[in-house]
Amino acid sequence: MAESMVEDKPLSILQKRWRKFRTLKRGWYSFLFLTGALLLSFLNPLMINNRALIVRYDGVYHFPVLSGHIEAKELGQHVIGEARYRELKSQYREEGAGNWVLMPPYPYHPNENLLLEEDLPGPPPHSPTSNHWMGTDDRGRDVFARLIYGFRISMLFGLGVLIGAYSVGIIAGAILGYFGGWVDILGQRFVEIWSGLPFLYTVIIISSLIRPEPWVLVLILCSFTWMRISFYVRGEFYREKAKDYVAAAVSQGESNPSIMFRHILPNGLTPIISFAPFGLVGYISSLVSLDFLGFGVQPPTASWGELVKQGLANINEWHLVLFPLGAMFCTLMMVVFIGEAVREAFDPKTFSRLR
Amino acid sequence: MSGYFARRLLLLIPTFLGITFLVFTITRFVPGGPIDQLIVQMQSAGGEAGASGAGESSVAIPAAVLDELNRQYGFDKPFYLSYLSWLGDVLTGDLGESFKYNEPVLGVITSRFPISIYFGLIGFTLAYLVCIPLGVAKAIQHGTPFDFISSAIVFIGYSVPGWALGAVLLVLFGGGSFLDLVPLGGFRSENWSDLSLVGKITDQLHHTILPVISYAVGSFATLTVLMKNSLMENLGADYVRTAFAKGLSERRVILVHTLRNSLIPISTGLGHALGLIMAGSYLIEFVFNIDGVGYLGYTAIIDRDYAVVMGILVINTLLILIGNILSDVLYVLVDPRIRFN
Repeated sequence: MAESMVEDKPLSILQKRWRKFRTLKRGWYSFLFLTGALLLSFLNPLMINNRALIVRYDGVYHFPVLSGHIEAKELGQHVIGEARYRELKSQYREEGAGNWVLMPPYPYHPNENLLLEEDLPGPPPHSPTSNHWMGTDDRGRDVFARLIYGFRISMLFGLGVLIGAYSVGIIAGAILGYFGGWVDILGQRFVEIWSGLPFLYTVIIISSLIRPEPWVLVLILCSFTWMRISFYVRGEFYREKAKDYVAAAVSQGESNPSIMFRHILPNGLTPIISFAPFGLVGYISSLVSLDFLGFGVQPPTASWGELVKQGLANINEWHLVLFPLGAMFCTLMMVVFIGEAVREAFDPKTFSRLR
Repeated sequence: MSGYFARRLLLLIPTFLGITFLVFTITRFVPGGPIDQLIVQMQSAGGEAGASGAGESSVAIPAAVLDELNRQYGFDKPFYLSYLSWLGDVLTGDLGESFKYNEPVLGVITSRFPISIYFGLIGFTLAYLVCIPLGVAKAIQHGTPFDFISSAIVFIGYSVPGWALGAVLLVLFGGGSFLDLVPLGGFRSENWSDLSLVGKITDQLHHTILPVISYAVGSFATLTVLMKNSLMENLGADYVRTAFAKGLSERRVILVHTLRNSLIPISTGLGHALGLIMAGSYLIEFVFNIDGVGYLGYTAIIDRDYAVVMGILVINTLLILIGNILSDVLYVLVDPRIRFN
């Protein structure tokens, strides 16, 4: 017993923080849930889709989800164009010839127009039904399917901006803070001018020039969010570069990039790491806001903001507003809980109090 | 110290010039500007008139008309020259004329100030009135269930963008599918001037409450946590020990001695109150259909009403930049230990 205690390697600071983070239940479970949901969302096409997972027809197996478009005629269905698998399923059942269709658990595609469905009478949007858990939007598309696909887009978008903005912000802040002097004065003016550019204006201008693909939107948002990170990093570099270990590294003849990124950066990373989840919250809600105004991802891509826009246009269709915004609130709330826990894990400050 | 602030003020100039020059240049090279819009209008009008004869609808615009238009909007000169003449006008207080409203830009913008100040000031005051007592209470009861639950609520508020909360509240209380408590938006009812005094007040309150909640919700979390942490930090300080040692009550120590010091970080935010004149998130105004500065800026961008876009940019930039400096000045005034160099 005593022996093993002696031989245990002391925990590194990161291990300690990780352990502390895991003890903060609210943040830890949010982290597990969101990571799980994000990983699971890569399987969306297998779970929420109008193409069947497996079709057995005349002894031959087909895998429409993987192989894509299959003509209806090849599967013995008398319609033109692609097979309609939900109808095919009931057709096979009625024929009783040993053919079968295995549909995904939720057999509707987010971009699929459901106006011809028998259980959805009248014009769209439809209220929630037992088949369509959250109803349909104003083009008769299933809201639940759009919501789940929208989650993946929102998360990936937010994470993409996070990585991009942090890379640029860290490099820019490091250069300004490390070199200081004229580099800093000129650089700060540039950052100030850049921050003064109206964000919405630029987005609208760009979307009038080109069709903004999601990665273009990521780039645009990155270019408007790195300044804040560079500001933090610059401050940290100013503080750290006066310390002795930097002087030691300089006197050993280390190169500037090596000093900046191998010596100083790990010491100055704490504040911006604890800021990251809160940044993510901002990036995700920016995308929803842009979609809401109609300048976000291009139709027919599923997006939360677009649903809200439809909902506010028809104020009686509460399901178009409450479901997507509910999904956004829950997602953002969990990210904030993660952020809170990360900050607590990284900030060992305990308050002492008299009395 | 005054030297420092003088330098800060001087550095305002290049920043201001940089921002306005950049945006001005962009407006010059983006398609869909006022001339393009006029050409489209003329062509569609001309196309209808001449449809029987010409067949093709591409009606040529007389060169003289185009020249006249270009001259009118200053497009006949290179962009840096027209920037200089625009800048000259701005320095004499002339922001140009709106393409959409056919009125001087300054008047178009200032006519929206009362709405922005109204919502901005109420939201701002509300945030401070709620957050300071809440932060104090949370600091005193640190670690209790009250602290835990109020933290959760405040952070939920933080994770919700104001406009989104507004949309939810509107669906719940705006008389769509659920309760019909408040109107769907706007600043006042259309028959406002006919109402009695009490009617006016209730009508205004009805239109105010949801937007104000939407405005304030975002700042609750940061302000409350800032207040709490700042007070907690002070509660561990030596002068608090001294105060307790000389036998003061806990109430007096916290409310008189500690609170004053822990208000310092909060007070610096007051410098940004200058921005309230132009406050107004286009998203919240969009949701509630309020014709404030934010909405004006949004529609100006959509309509390519460049004079208004530039006018809002000028006023906004100045307010933000000066607000930043003002915050630092306040910091020094409130806390004599701070030194800028």
